[in-house]
Amino acid sequence: MEYGRVYFEDVQVGDALPPLTKGPLQQIQLTRYAGASLDFNPIHQDEEFARAAGMGGVFAHGMLSMGWVGQALTDWAGAGSVRKLGVRFAALVRLKDTVTCTGRVISKSEKDDVRLVDVEVWAENQKGDKVVTGKATLVLPSRA
Amino acid sequence: MPIAVNKAIGGKEYPPFPVTVERGRIKDFARAVGDLNPFYMDDAVGAASPWGDVIAPPTFGISFRDEAADSSALLRDLGVDISRLLHGEQEFEIHRQLVPGETYLCRTRVVDVYEKTGRSGPMAFVVRETAVTDRAGEIVVSMRQVTVVRL
Repeated sequence: MEYGRVYFEDVQVGDALPPLTKGPLQQIQLTRYAGASLDFNPIHQDEEFARAAGMGGVFAHGMLSMGWVGQALTDWAGAGSVRKLGVRFAALVRLKDTVTCTGRVISKSEKDDVRLVDVEVWAENQKGDKVVTGKATLVLPSRA
Repeated sequence: MPIAVNKAIGGKEYPPFPVTVERGRIKDFARAVGDLNPFYMDDAVGAASPWGDVIAPPTFGISFRDEAADSSALLRDLGVDISRLLHGEQEFEIHRQLVPGETYLCRTRVVDVYEKTGRSGPMAFVVRETAVTDRAGEIVVSMRQVTVVRL
């Protein structure tokens, strides 16, 4: 596993982020995420509860998918590079799903010696359905 | 017959609460996401980094809760059951990295409550913003969360 670090000068608008694939999703990961995030909503843990709620069964915390999107960004640009990350949870992630996170550079800007790159980000399941869509702003170092 | 949410909580501010970031919690969070980046996991790498310590993953702020408060305060204020909630949107603005040992103050406000009928029926949207500040009162992280209530 490499932990990337890209330079502002080497990034072009239209560049694709290396995809990050997670899953197949197992219940234990949702239990672990509940403990780490302190989100103990039983809808992510208890099959009967989730069915009774009309959700057709357990599904993942949206925040877990967002965490994966964050990882796709930092695997590429380095830890600590995310200035802004905003997403919409477009569809549910279910047990056994495989989720692939990626993105594309949409703009570059420089202001007061801070170099920013805007990235469109998304995550999709094994069927190609988008489960997360959003946008991120990254701070990148300069070669200069 | 759809249920109703209490729209009067629009504008409500919850009492500020402190959170002290613990090293082990950062690592547990990173492990739970499956993101074993050494800048989160390895104290030696953190010590040699520009931040002088490990840092938290970008979405770590979601774990900030008021330990002294009733965790179902929002549900009670809205008048709905937890089984009706979905996470609609989430945004983080990270002005500075969250690091272990620091105590931050979190202030959450309900900025909007509105209803809309979508493909899956009538829904209410509850928009909350949380400002995370340091001891000097400077903003460290801003969070914006949209919770969807299935009516």
